[in-house]
Amino acid sequence: MNKSMSLLIGGIQGEGVISTGVSLMKALSSLGYYVYEKRDFSSRIKGGNSAITIHAGIEKKLWVEDQVKVIIALDDDTVKKYYHLLSSDGIIFYDAALTLDFQLPEKIKLIPLPITEIAKASGATLMKNTSAMGFISALLGITADNVTSAIKNKYKHKGEEIINKNITVLKNVFQYAQENLKEYQTLKLTPANKISRPLMMGNDAISLGALAAGCRFIASYPITPASEVMENLSKLLPKHGGVALQVEDEIAAVNMIIGASYGGTRSMTATSGPGLSLMMEGIGLAGMTETPIVIVDAQRSGPSTGLPTKHEQSDLIGLYFGGHGEYPSIILTPTSVEDCFYATMRAFNLAEEYQCPVFLLSDLSMSLSHQTIDELEPHRIQINRGKLYQPNTGQEEYKRYQLTEDDISPRALPGTAGGLHHTTGLEHNELGFPNDQPGNRRNMMDKRMKKTAPLQENEEIIIHSHQRDVLFLSFGSTYGVIKGAMEIAEEPLDYGYIQMIKPLPTQQLKRILEKYKHVVIVENNYSQQLATIIKSELGYHEKIHSLTKYDGTPFTLNEIITEMGGWI
Amino acid sequence: MTNIKDYDNNITPNWCPGCGHFSIQRALQVVASRLEIPNEKMMVVSGIGCSGRISGYMNTYSFHGIHGRSLPIAQGIKASNKDLTVIAAGGDGDGFAIGLSHTLHAIRRNMNVTYIVLNNQIYGLTKGHTSPLSEVGFQTKSTPTGSLENPIRPGIVALSNGITFLGQGFSAYQEQLIDTIVKAVQHDGFSLVNVFSPCVTYNKINTYQWFREHLVKLDEDEGYNPQDYQMAMNKLIETDGLCTGIIYQNEGTPSLLEQLQPKDASALSKMDLQLSKDHFNSIINQYR
Repeated sequence: MNKSMSLLIGGIQGEGVISTGVSLMKALSSLGYYVYEKRDFSSRIKGGNSAITIHAGIEKKLWVEDQVKVIIALDDDTVKKYYHLLSSDGIIFYDAALTLDFQLPEKIKLIPLPITEIAKASGATLMKNTSAMGFISALLGITADNVTSAIKNKYKHKGEEIINKNITVLKNVFQYAQENLKEYQTLKLTPANKISRPLMMGNDAISLGALAAGCRFIASYPITPASEVMENLSKLLPKHGGVALQVEDEIAAVNMIIGASYGGTRSMTATSGPGLSLMMEGIGLAGMTETPIVIVDAQRSGPSTGLPTKHEQSDLIGLYFGGHGEYPSIILTPTSVEDCFYATMRAFNLAEEYQCPVFLLSDLSMSLSHQTIDELEPHRIQINRGKLYQPNTGQEEYKRYQLTEDDISPRALPGTAGGLHHTTGLEHNELGFPNDQPGNRRNMMDKRMKKTAPLQENEEIIIHSHQRDVLFLSFGSTYGVIKGAMEIAEEPLDYGYIQMIKPLPTQQLKRILEKYKHVVIVENNYSQQLATIIKSELGYHEKIHSLTKYDGTPFTLNEIITEMGGWI
Repeated sequence: MTNIKDYDNNITPNWCPGCGHFSIQRALQVVASRLEIPNEKMMVVSGIGCSGRISGYMNTYSFHGIHGRSLPIAQGIKASNKDLTVIAAGGDGDGFAIGLSHTLHAIRRNMNVTYIVLNNQIYGLTKGHTSPLSEVGFQTKSTPTGSLENPIRPGIVALSNGITFLGQGFSAYQEQLIDTIVKAVQHDGFSLVNVFSPCVTYNKINTYQWFREHLVKLDEDEGYNPQDYQMAMNKLIETDGLCTGIIYQNEGTPSLLEQLQPKDASALSKMDLQLSKDHFNSIINQYR
C-alpha cells in the first residue's frame, strides 16, 4: 500500500491520453485522493507524443515527483522518452500491441498488458483509453464500480450503446487483472477518506471566479494556454445573462472590454504573451481613462511564438513597466487552483475600486494542470463596485476625474442622467476634456500614479517559517515545487510566495529583507524579473539572490533541493 | 422634437474653416433631436485624427479612444448596455487602414451600432499623408510621385461581407445625410454610413466642387430599390462608389444581441450579480 504514487501515461497525441488521465484524476478525486498533474504536449493536433504525469495521494501536494513509479505506455515514444524517469523499483506497463523494437537498459522492468486487445475484443480499438484506464485503476486498487461511474460520466453524451461497450471493456480488464496482475498489489494506494472533491485546472477556477465576481462579458481570442477561460465562460455566461464573444484579435478583445466595462459591466479577457503584446496600447487607454478591466495572462515561453506549449514566467517585467507612457496597474499572482478562484474575484474588485487594469498573472503549469481542490467559497469575497456616481440633487457639475483625497473619482456609467462627460485617451482635465497645460498634466499624472499607493502597505507575502535566516521566495505555480522540496528536506529553509507584485508590497518586503540574511527568488525566466523589480524598488542587492530556469519546463524537486544545499 | 442645441456642448471644434466634418457633427445633432434620444442615452465613440474629435463636441456620453479601435469600444459599450444608442465615428484611416479588420468583423457581427466614416481620403491631422481610400496617383508627403496602391472600395467591401445597412453621404448634402443617418440609427443591426467629407487643407483633388460633379443621388432615382442586393452592387460598380443615400438595407437579419439574449433581458450592466450558494454548488458539481 502506498500513501502516494506518481505515474505517467503517454501515447500518441490526439488519441485521448490526456482525457484518460483527466478521467482517472476525477475518479481519484471523488474517492478522497488529492491529485496534481503535469503535462507534456506539443503544438499539433494529432501525432507526436503527449504524456501526463499524475501525483496521487492522501495528502495535498502541488507538485509531481521527479521520478515515477509506474509508466503506462500506449506508444513506443512514451517508453523511449520517459523510461529514464522511472524510480529504481518502477515498472513500465506497455500495450502488448506495441513492438518496442529498440534497446533499453536491462534493469528496466517491462510488463505487457493486453490494452488494445481487450478493447478490440470488446468492440473497438478506439476504446483502448478505457482499457488503459481500467488497468491503471486495477493496479492502484480502485474498484471496478468506481471506475464504471467515471466512465459513465465521461461518455454520458455519447449514448447508452457506447457506455455499455466501454463498461464491457472495463469488466474484461478487471477480470484480466484479477487473474494475471496479483503480484503488483504493492502498487495499490492506501484507501482514502472518501470525501469527494472537485478536480479542476487554473483556467477553470479563473472562469468560475469571474462568474462569482459578477463578470458578465468576455471578449477573447484563442491562445494556448488561456483558451479554456473563454471556452468555459462561453458556456457559463449565457446561462447568467452574460455575453461571451470570440473576436477578431486581441486588440479588439481589449478595446471591447474597455467599452463594456466603461458601460458598467464587469468585463475581462484572457490571453498569453503574444496576445498581451497586441493589447498594450489598449491597456494604456484603460490606464489613461481610468477604466477598470481584468486581463488574465497565462504565461508561456516567449518571445514571439517561443515555445507555445511550454511553461515560463517571463511576462512580469513587461506587465510591470508595460506599454508606452506611465499608468497604474495591479498584478496578482495566484499560486494554486483555489487561489486562482479567489484572486480572480479579488481582481474584479480591485479593478473597480482603483479604476485601472488588473492583471491576473498565471502560468502554463497553473492554467493547465488539474488539481484536486478544497471546496470553494464564493461568498468569502464580497462584490465591491468601487466609487460610482449617484445622480443627486444636481448642485454641482459632475467631474469624472475630480481631484479627491484618495485620488479616485466616482464613475458615472453611460445612461446615468446628470453624469454626462467626455472620456479620452488624451490628457484631460477634471471634466474629461483634452487639456495640455503643464499644471493640469502634473495633477492628473499624480492622481493616476498615486491612487494605487495604499496597496503597497498590504501584506501580500505568505511565508512558511522554519525559523531560518534564508528565505526562498517565488510566485505562481513555482511555489508548489518549492513547498514540496522543503517538505521532504531534512533541513528545510523558510519559503513563501508573493500574491501581488504590483504595486509591490514594499512595507512588508522591507521588513522581510531586514529580517533575512538571504532571500533567494525562484522564477522561470532568464533575466531574474521578480528579483530585478524588488531590487529596483527597494535595493538590498547583496541579500537578493536568484534561481532561474528558462528551458520551458517547471522546476523539479531535485533542482530546488540542490539549490537549497548551497544555503544550509 | 428636442432642440438641436441640446446636443451641442458649446466647445468650438478645432477643425479648419470649411472642413466637411462640421456638417457631419451638425447632422448627428439633428438626428439626435429628430429621434428625441435622451442625452444620457446617447453614446458617441470616436477614433483618432481630425474625425476623432467629433465625440468631444457632443453633449452626450462620449468616448475618444485610440486609433482604429472605435468599433471594438463601441461594440463593447453596446454589449454592456443595449439601452444606449451607440454611434461610432472615425476617419478613413481609422476604418480602412489600421482598423479595417474591425470594420469587417463589425459587419459580420451585426451589432446594433451605427458607424459613421468621416471620409476625406487623406490623413489630415498628421499633415497630409495618403489614405487607403486615396486614388491612384494621389500626391502626398508620403507619396510625392503619387500613390501606387489601389484604393479600397468601402461600399463594395461592406456589401460583399454581408452588411445589413449601407449608406453614403456628402457633407454638402445635409438633408440627405441627416435622413440617411436617421435610418441607419433606426436600423436594427450594424449600419455603415460613409460620408464624403472634403479636407480643404490637404486634399485639393476631391473638393466640394469635385464631389458635386461626380456624385449620384440615389433618392432621386425612382427605380432604385435599396432592398435589392444585386442592384446595390451594380450601382456601386457603375458609379465607382460615388453615390449617396441608402445603398442597401436588409431588415430580415437579427442583430447579434437579439440572437444572444431574450428580447426582454435586462442590459448586462444592470444585472443582479449575486450567485446563490446552491447554484454555485451545482456548477462545482460538474467538476466532480
